[in-house]
Amino acid sequence: MKKTINIPLGSQHISLLEPVRFKFECENEKIVGVDSDVGFVHRGVEKACTTRFKYDAVGYVVARVCGLCAITHSLSYTVAIEQLLDVEVSKKAKYLRVLLLELDRIHSHMLCLSHTCESAGFEAMFMRIMGDRELIMEIQELLTGNRIQFDYISIGGVNRDISLETAKKIVNSLDIVKQKVLGYIDEFTNNWSLSLKFKGIGALTLDEAYRFNAIGPLARASGLHIDVRNEIEYLPYKELGFKMQTHTDGDINARNIIRLNEILNSLEMCNNILAGVPEGEIVVKSKGKPSGESLVRFEAPRGELMYFVKGNATAMLDRVRIKTPTFSSIPAFSHIFMGENYADAPAILASFDPCLSCTAK
Amino acid sequence: MFTSLFKALTNLFKKPQTIDYPVTPIEKDKDYRGLIEYGEESCIYCMKCEKACPPGAILFVKTDTPSENEKNKKGLKYNYNPYLCIYCGECVRACPKPEEALWQSNKKPEVAVRGDNVNSDWFELEKLHKS
Repeated sequence: MKKTINIPLGSQHISLLEPVRFKFECENEKIVGVDSDVGFVHRGVEKACTTRFKYDAVGYVVARVCGLCAITHSLSYTVAIEQLLDVEVSKKAKYLRVLLLELDRIHSHMLCLSHTCESAGFEAMFMRIMGDRELIMEIQELLTGNRIQFDYISIGGVNRDISLETAKKIVNSLDIVKQKVLGYIDEFTNNWSLSLKFKGIGALTLDEAYRFNAIGPLARASGLHIDVRNEIEYLPYKELGFKMQTHTDGDINARNIIRLNEILNSLEMCNNILAGVPEGEIVVKSKGKPSGESLVRFEAPRGELMYFVKGNATAMLDRVRIKTPTFSSIPAFSHIFMGENYADAPAILASFDPCLSCTAK
Repeated sequence: MFTSLFKALTNLFKKPQTIDYPVTPIEKDKDYRGLIEYGEESCIYCMKCEKACPPGAILFVKTDTPSENEKNKKGLKYNYNPYLCIYCGECVRACPKPEEALWQSNKKPEVAVRGDNVNSDWFELEKLHKS
C-alpha cells in the first residue's frame, strides 16, 4: 500500500504572490518528494522581441518582463546592444544606472522581507515594511517619473538627468530608510516570530549550494561567495564601496539577514553616488545596426540575470535569450523542501523570493 | 509588555499613513510622466515620433480635412492613443522641435468606458494607416 499522500501548493494559494505549482509528496508531515511547474504566466516575450519590435524598442519590452527588477532587465539588454554597436557610455550615465539598480534592489528586498513576515503571521510588520518601502518608490518616481515601469535606460545612456534639488531630497529619504532598516535588523534578530522560529528551517548547506547551482541571496546565505557585482568590470561597483554579504547558516533567518545587510550596503552605495555624481553627458548617440552576438550578466535582486542577444545587421534581432535567476535556482528550491514539514512550505517559499513572471516570461 | 501596550494605545490616536484619496488629491510631481501633448502649428510632419514610438501609439493618417499647416503636404492628421502609450517619452526625444510640437505633460488620461470605442476606433485607424 502507498504510504505517502500528495498535497499540491498552488497554482493558486493564499501564500503565493504569483502562480507556481509545487506538488509535495508527504509522509505524515514530512515532505519526501517535490515536483514543480512554473509556466503559468508565459507571455512570449522572447518571441515578441524578435518578431514585433525593432531593436531600439526591445529595451522597453523586456522591462515589462518583471515589475520588480525592470531596471535590471532593460539594463542587461541595453548593455548587450551597446556591446554590439560599440557605444561607450559616459561615466555619469553609468553612475545613474547603478543608482537605479541599487534602489531597485532595496525595494525588491523590502518586498521579500515583508512577505516573509506575512508568512510568519506577523501582519503588523508586513504593513510597516510596505509602508516604509513607499519612500523608495517615491525616490524612484522623482528620478524616473514613474513608480514601477521606469523606462529610464536607453541605448547610449539614461533618459533623465538628476538635479541637485532631487539629489538632496533623495539623500534625506535614504537617511530615514537607513534608520528604519536598522530597526528591522533588530526585529529580525531578536523577535521570536521572526528569528528563532526561522532558525534551522529550510537550510541549504554550502556543499548543496555548489551542487545545485544556487545563486543570489540564496547562495550567499549558505556562505557561497557569488555575486556578479563583484565579477563585472562594466559598472563601477568597486569604487562605490560594494561589499559582499555572506552568512553561514543557510536557513530562512540567514536569508533575511543577508537581504537586510544588502539593503544597508546598497543604501551606502546610493549615498556614495549622490555625493559625487560626475559631470558629463547623460546620453551618447549610437549609429548602425547590431550585428554579432553578445552575452551580458548582471546581478538582479534575486541573483544572476543573463541576456544573450544575436543581431544580423537589420533592425530586427535574430534571438533574445533571457535566463532569469529564479529559473536557475529551481533545483536548489526543490532540494530545500525535502525533509521539511509541509506546514513550513509557504514560509520557505517566501524566503526564496521567487519571481515567476520573470521565469515564465 | 508595557511598551507594546503603550505603543498600541498611542497608535490608536495616530494619523493613518495613507491619504483620504478621492477627497485629498494625490500630490503630483511636475516631472511625473504623463500624457504626450501635441502642438499642430509647430509640427513639421517629419513622422519621426511615429517611427520612434515602441507600442505604435502615434499614427499619421490621411484625412479629408487636413490642417492649414503648410508643412502638411500629404494631408495627414496626427492621432494619439493615450491607452496604448507607455509614456516612455521616446517620441519627444526623437522630435526635432520638442516643447513646441511635442512634449510630455504630467496629466493622467481620462478613464475610458466601453461607449468611447477606444479600441475599435484605433483599429480602424491602424487599418487606414497600413493601406
